[in-house]
Amino acid sequence: MSSEKKQHTVQTTGHAWDGDLQEFNNPLPNWWLWGFYATVVFAVIYWVLYPAFPIGNTYTKGAFNEITYTTADGKTKTSHWTTRALLMQEMQEARELQKPYLEKINKTGYEQIAGNKEQSSFAYSTAKVLFADNCAACHQAGGAGVIGMYPNLADDAWLWGGSYAQIEESIRKGRNGNMPGFKASLSAEQIDNVAEYVLGLSGIEVNKDKAAQGKAVFEGAGTCHVCHTKAGSGQFAMGSANLTDKVWTFANVPAAKTLAEKKTAVKEVVANGFGRHMPAWNGRLSDVEIKMLAFYVHQLSAGK
Amino acid sequence: MANVTTQSPEQYNYDIVRLFTIMTVVWGVLGMLVGVYIASELAWPFLNFDNPAITFGRLRPVHTTLVIFGFGGSALFATSYYVVQRTCQTRLWGEGLAKFTFLGWNGAVGLAAVSYMMGYTQAREYAEMVWPIDLLIAVTWVAYLVIYVMTLRKRSQPHIYVANWFFIAFILATAILHIFNNMAVPVSLFSLESYSLHAGVQDAMTQWWYGHNAVGFFLTAAFLGMMYYFVPKQAGRPVYSYRLSIIHFWALIFLYMWVGAHHLHWTALPDWTSTLAATFSILLLLPSWGGMINGIMTLSGAWDRLRNDPVIRFLIVSLSFYGMSTFEGPLMSLKSVNALSHYTDWTIGHVHSGALGWVAMISMGSLYHLVPRLWETKMYSDRLINIHFWLATIGIVLYISAMWVAGIGQGLMLRAFDEYGNLAYTFIETVSFLHAPYVVRTIGGVFFVTGMILMAYNVYMTIRKGKAEAAVLEAKLAAKLANA
Amino acid sequence: MKHETIETNAGWLIALTLVVISIGGLVEIVPLYFIDSTVETVKVAGKDVVRPYTPLELRGRDIYQREGCYVCHSQMIRPFRDEALRYGHYSLAAESQFDHPFQWGSKRTGPDLARVGKKYSNQWHTQHLIAPRSVVPESIMPNYPWLMNKSLSYKDIGNRMRALKMVGVPYAETQAEYDANVKRYGKEVADQLDINKAEENLLAQAKNGNYDGDISSISEMDALVAYLQVLGTMVDFKQFEDGHFAEFR
Ligand code: HEC
Ligand code: HEC
Ligand code: HEC
Ligand code: HEM
Ligand code: HEM
Ligand SMILES: [Ca+2]
Ligand SMILES: [Ca+2]
Ligand SMILES: [Cu+2]
Repeated sequence: MSSEKKQHTVQTTGHAWDGDLQEFNNPLPNWWLWGFYATVVFAVIYWVLYPAFPIGNTYTKGAFNEITYTTADGKTKTSHWTTRALLMQEMQEARELQKPYLEKINKTGYEQIAGNKEQSSFAYSTAKVLFADNCAACHQAGGAGVIGMYPNLADDAWLWGGSYAQIEESIRKGRNGNMPGFKASLSAEQIDNVAEYVLGLSGIEVNKDKAAQGKAVFEGAGTCHVCHTKAGSGQFAMGSANLTDKVWTFANVPAAKTLAEKKTAVKEVVANGFGRHMPAWNGRLSDVEIKMLAFYVHQLSAGK
Repeated sequence: MANVTTQSPEQYNYDIVRLFTIMTVVWGVLGMLVGVYIASELAWPFLNFDNPAITFGRLRPVHTTLVIFGFGGSALFATSYYVVQRTCQTRLWGEGLAKFTFLGWNGAVGLAAVSYMMGYTQAREYAEMVWPIDLLIAVTWVAYLVIYVMTLRKRSQPHIYVANWFFIAFILATAILHIFNNMAVPVSLFSLESYSLHAGVQDAMTQWWYGHNAVGFFLTAAFLGMMYYFVPKQAGRPVYSYRLSIIHFWALIFLYMWVGAHHLHWTALPDWTSTLAATFSILLLLPSWGGMINGIMTLSGAWDRLRNDPVIRFLIVSLSFYGMSTFEGPLMSLKSVNALSHYTDWTIGHVHSGALGWVAMISMGSLYHLVPRLWETKMYSDRLINIHFWLATIGIVLYISAMWVAGIGQGLMLRAFDEYGNLAYTFIETVSFLHAPYVVRTIGGVFFVTGMILMAYNVYMTIRKGKAEAAVLEAKLAAKLANA
Repeated sequence: MKHETIETNAGWLIALTLVVISIGGLVEIVPLYFIDSTVETVKVAGKDVVRPYTPLELRGRDIYQREGCYVCHSQMIRPFRDEALRYGHYSLAAESQFDHPFQWGSKRTGPDLARVGKKYSNQWHTQHLIAPRSVVPESIMPNYPWLMNKSLSYKDIGNRMRALKMVGVPYAETQAEYDANVKRYGKEVADQLDINKAEENLLAQAKNGNYDGDISSISEMDALVAYLQVLGTMVDFKQFEDGHFAEFR
């Protein structure tokens, strides 16, 4: 029945299925067999060295393969091979590598960091990625921010202050700015006037009469001056925006072409108010990381 | 006995094989089109179109389900039903039950795809089907097992052919895996949603014990069963080594069940489990290659046919990719390599060298062997088979090389430190880096699916041709009868 | 036994196959339930700190699964320094002990989310989910605007908690169960785990949390953001000595 089969030196097993399906009985290729033995040897060695088999309520821990590491608290420990002990070792090595830099940065003030090439490039190298992985989601690459959502960190206008200490506090504790809405307490006309006035504060050409009426609201019924000060320059203590500079962080005045549109943007803010939340990084980032970030953010705005 | 091959088809239940064969092609085209679409979404995210049903998160399981269970599953049903009949020389047991497996299986695949798009999922990779579909699958699978075993029992051949060992192991293992991995408590009797029995670390282990063996038994052992029939058949030569078949069969099915935890290296899974997975994965290398050797050495006497038989080409390339992905797999199972590859596109590249190179190519080769025999004619166009082969091969090469660049590149970027020991790259920089490889992968996918569409056309025309020829034959017969 | 016996007898073939394929799973899965160190003990001042999800967080988690966020995001920080710097402390097994199913993921198309809780503001999450590219220009994440428009369905929250209770999550229905939770987690948490007060708790958390910035209704966004904001926040690693959790492996 396998008449058309070529004669072969190796015998088939003698069975045939479906007419012509047969099997030779070739021996296992040697390289295959030895290869398999090699993997067995590999596995056995591995089992001896590493945690491997469960027994009762524990498992074999592996022999001749201990890991010794020092924790961040300075304790030295030895354990069998584990992925976590390996990390402890990796962290220890990195700590030792970075220690000379970190110790100095921890001890010195911001000005000294800025003045020292080595320290500032170290801080920059750390903070650049920290900023991109943690902050850029809001403040965008380079700290440019998004008007209406997240303040620009690269200009020299600050809601909460641009000193090293103030920036550090912004990062460490987070911020919650809150501008109340006035549509319940002020009439539409009052809001219209105060908007006119507010726009005038930063040098925009406005209707003088209306602005004068707006000023009365600003310092009177509106109580705006309580937060933004009489001059309208804002207070770092509560993050109330400076209304006299040309920087807008929420009301998108720059994008508006006509005065009417600019007013609409401001009126929207005055009528509805807004609040926004900057998360606190204390705990998530270490003290020294926050310090380097504050340094970095300060640099973003060319140090102003 | 020498002319069984020419025996009248009624001896075997070919109807069911034909049905599954057609669905293989249908799911193949659909599943791969969805693959190209999700690949495009990653390259050009606007393609999500703010439409919940087609967002990447919901469509990705549609892709995996259609290609693995729709395309791969139907191919396995078709070929296993064909192979078991021919190697046992007996008709498939249980006419109606076989029909039921057809409806049950394809129903489950279709319902699963629709339900994911509607947002119903168990969020377990490759087992996302909600519990009522799980039940449908379980019942269908038991029917499949019964049919298979009953057919084996009434075989007219004392020996069970090696292909059937693989098929039976695949059916049994899949049953166990499916049941234990999908245990869940529904929110209520009328809710499609449910919560899994296991949680956290035990759940992770159970899921990847399943997940790996979806690969090991569904995408490998069963396709080896396919290989063991169609390769010697197409080559017209005996299987290279019976002894190798035995050894690698038992080694493979034993070892596979141990390696699921290589999907969980460096996670919160205990280290001992991870060690077992790593070592057993290494142990798997040669038993896997046993299948490749047996296939390639069987073909080795038919090298001359490589020039003119496009089916042989599909088979040989599939075996090469099988060898490659079962080398890459153990490599990626080493903890140090996995530290880099895990969570990156390297895994995706590995998946598709297995899925496109091995699973799809062997299925396509086998189908090109099968279709003309099922419809008793010749393939409509050998040239199209040839074009298909080249489209598929180019597609795979583009896909995998793009994913190596993407995966290894991203892995290296994410772990790179600058001279101060600080991170050198941010996550989002790696996302930007991935754009180019994602585009290349999409192009590779377009090549591959174009080949698949050509196959669908070729198969469709072949069926038409087969039917026309049968009609002519019948007419002639009728005329003869009328004249007589 | 010669192989001849097995391959000529379907019964033998099946029986032996079943034995051979059962071993691996048994050896690897069953002990995970019995080896004590598998799931770390995480107690602060005698109380468990990893708690089950509140009703609102639970619904958020359901939506996380429905949208398939897990296909792009892992929730498993591995013990590597680069991951520690990027994502925080490595994930403990204990932290996913109430995750039915687990959400460790297998591909990071987006960043790991295991500790994303409290990293960003609610406002940011809402904005990001509606239109990721409006805040992260390079993002390839899909937009999820419908989460904002769809009101959250929470009528079956009791059933959900009951189903989870059946699979071992300590939600309480009886007084005894409630008391046990008070002992285990303290009163504040125990109150949140009370199935009888599920709806009330859900409404209160959505209202007080104001996750999507609109208190007039409870949207799916509220639930999803509530879930994202709790991820990885339960264990305060400052309370533990450095390296404490390494001893569990
Ligand atoms: C979830 C969004 C978000 C993230 C993330 C974020 N911020 Fe902010 N940040 C804000 C918002 C909103 C404000 C404005 C708060 C206000 O107006 O009161 C702000 C304000 C600030 C300020 C004060 C600006 C000023 O004008 O006084 C600094 C400094 C700052 N952020 C730095 C950072 C740094 C550094 C990081 C990363 C470690 C960071 N931010 C991450 C949203 C965010
Ligand atoms: C309770 C304190 C408070 C009062 C009263 C108050 N503001 Fe504000 N205002 C703020 C704070 C704080 C911000 C910045 C909020 C932030 O950035 O998160 C702000 C922001 C603004 C802005 C947006 C500036 C920008 O950069 O886009 C405008 C305009 C404004 N206030 C106008 C007014 C006017 C007009 C009134 C009175 C009708 C007023 N505010 C009353 C606290 C106050
Ligand atoms: C196509 C893949 C994809 C899907 C699906 C997806 N994401 Fe994302 N996700 C990303 C990418 C890429 C980023 C990084 C860029 C960014 O911040 O948008 C990201 C970032 C995030 C972040 C910010 C993480 C951080 O630490 O900066 C959160 C939170 C998030 N996704 C939540 C979700 C949720 C919730 C879902 C489901 C509703 C989801 N994602 C679905 C790809 C995806
Ligand atoms: C036209 C061809 C195909 C294309 C373009 C394609 C594309 C894709 C894409 C884009 C993904 C998601 C990757 C990610 O999340 O980053 C994916 C996942 C997957 N595909 Fe395909 N695919 C194709 C064919 C196939 C076939 C034929 C199979 C199986 C037989 C398959 C099996 C899978 C599997 C198992 C995954 C999940 C991988 C994982 O989670 O690691 N694909 N595919
Ligand atoms: C000896 C053989 C093999 C071994 C040891 C192996 C090993 C691995 C490893 C280590 C991973 C990566 C897991 C991770 O880091 O997340 C993986 C993923 C995968 N492999 Fe293999 N592999 C083998 C063969 C194959 C074959 C032949 C296929 C055929 C399709 C395949 C399909 C997959 C799939 C689909 C995944 C992705 C699973 C997921 O994350 O969703 N593998 N494999
Ligand atoms: Ca399921
Ligand atoms: Ca996956
Ligand atoms: Cu695997």
